[in-house]
Amino acid sequence: MKFFLPILIIFLLLPSCKPKVIQPGIYREIPKLGEKEIAEREAKDEREDRANRILGEAKIETENILTNEMERERKVIESPFKDIFFDFDSYLIKAEYYPLLDSISEWLKLKSNRNVIIEGHCDERGTHEYNLILGQKRGDAVRDYLVRKGVDPTRLKVISYGKERPIDPRHTEEAWAKNRRAHFRFE
Amino acid sequence: MKFTVIFFLTLLILVPGHLFAKVYFDVYASGFKKIVIAVPYLKSQEPSKLRTEIPELIQKDLEFSGFFTCAPWSILDRDFQEEGIEKTEISFNKWKSIGVEILLKGKVQEQGDEIITEIYLYDTTYGSLEFAKRYKTKKAGLIPLIHRICDDIIESVTGARGILSSKLLFVSGPKGATEIFISGIDGFGMRKLTDYKTITVLPSMSPDGKYLSYTSYREGKPHLYIFDMEKGTQVFVDREEGVKVGKEWLDRKTLIYTHTSGRYSSIVKFDVENKTKKVLLKKEGIVASPSPSPDGKKIVFTSDMYGTPQIFTLDLATGEIKRLTYQGKYNASPVYSPKGDLIAFVSKIDGALEICVMDPSGDNVRMLTNSGGINDSPHFSPCGRYLVFSSQKGGKTSISLMFVNGENKRTLSFTGQNEMQPRFVPQ
Repeated sequence: MKFFLPILIIFLLLPSCKPKVIQPGIYREIPKLGEKEIAEREAKDEREDRANRILGEAKIETENILTNEMERERKVIESPFKDIFFDFDSYLIKAEYYPLLDSISEWLKLKSNRNVIIEGHCDERGTHEYNLILGQKRGDAVRDYLVRKGVDPTRLKVISYGKERPIDPRHTEEAWAKNRRAHFRFE
Repeated sequence: MKFTVIFFLTLLILVPGHLFAKVYFDVYASGFKKIVIAVPYLKSQEPSKLRTEIPELIQKDLEFSGFFTCAPWSILDRDFQEEGIEKTEISFNKWKSIGVEILLKGKVQEQGDEIITEIYLYDTTYGSLEFAKRYKTKKAGLIPLIHRICDDIIESVTGARGILSSKLLFVSGPKGATEIFISGIDGFGMRKLTDYKTITVLPSMSPDGKYLSYTSYREGKPHLYIFDMEKGTQVFVDREEGVKVGKEWLDRKTLIYTHTSGRYSSIVKFDVENKTKKVLLKKEGIVASPSPSPDGKKIVFTSDMYGTPQIFTLDLATGEIKRLTYQGKYNASPVYSPKGDLIAFVSKIDGALEICVMDPSGDNVRMLTNSGGINDSPHFSPCGRYLVFSSQKGGKTSISLMFVNGENKRTLSFTGQNEMQPRFVPQ
């Protein structure tokens, strides 16, 4: 590498003005910059430019050339679908999963042609019959959250598998925790 | 392979059952006394290996039933074995002196392809003949014959038929590809009823054996199916969104099941012949495992309406809901006994799921298993004296049988794979 200077592309994301820094090969999100931080950052860039001029190096101009279409593609690559895990005998969505479900609802609103099946699963420590219904409630809890975030309800189907399809077949606390989940798949 | 066994049954002597009133079986009391029975060799005119084989098999069945202790062959010396079968030939005091209370005598005759067996049952206390029957069957029907003889003996001695000829419905197979099976409780005559190679669970049969219901993912989602066993046709599928499960029948044509989707769970009553559906109860959250009382007036079910799964009854006339369980945080899968005097259910105790029974009021809870594993799907025998259930220890799930007091536990075996969700086929 001739130049070791990181190339920073600052771009604006949607009307929410969420700036992102993209490094070659890695996507990294900077958490919520306020107006003040942005102003500071611009001032810093200017200082660096001036320093570069003094050192006789070329000014690097940046321009956001990421189109909406590319942004969508990028979001597809960064598919947010991860499993949502539940406590024993519970179908209450834990607060820690709200950001994940928010990004899933954003994704679904962007990719309006993809329908999703939400699978509800349970660990083995329950009766067959009760767990089939508990799995349904877990799937429905996730569906309900996404619908409240504006996803078209007709695009979301729930299928409960009770304890019939564990992802981890062992009989340990760790396995049970992994099996109490809502899992996404495309229809 | 359907196996047809025809019994020609001749009742030689009819003895009023009340003569046996001295023997009272209360299997609800723990530690009831087993009856000592002796089953010496049968008599036969021609040499036949059946004269020793039949008593051996009868002993096995009687021991299995839990009602009897068989006098060991070792104490039955030549004198005992050679004694005649007529009342006048029997020295009842000798039998009494070695502790035998009931004495079985009989003779066997092989005639071409047939076995003709006569069985005589004596009470040694009174020296009375209590039971005498002649059985005639094809040789291939030996095992069903033995079960039949033993169920008759059990009925004569205890007042209600045994379960040795009973059949079970159950689910077996690898995870994700379970099928429904029907089999004698000893594994005899086992047949696979479904072949969908997907998740198929929770089978039940209507009281007259005409309809089979189950929940299957054969169309990708957990739909409820009802199959006409006589016509071999599918008569109903509930394809509504959500999960539909049910395994109890209100009468010979009415299935009770639950439907859960979105915010609500409902208990649905479905009339198979008129194809009419009626919602009996609709509640937020979970409603599971509805089971009607034998008089059809109440439905016992599981609900999480107070946070954790607990057992409730719904009065069908008034709509009143009454909570039955307060102990612990997990009580599920309730089912009424055939007489309505008990409710069996599954309770989470010390991290394990155990089978319990309680009075229909919710009082007097008794824990019947203590395996520390996952015990599920309790179901009463038609006589009300036994429960079948599934028991998972580690990765292996098998079906067990026990008295409703928790004694006399027997592990049954059928396919060699995981076996679960057992139910007695109605008789």
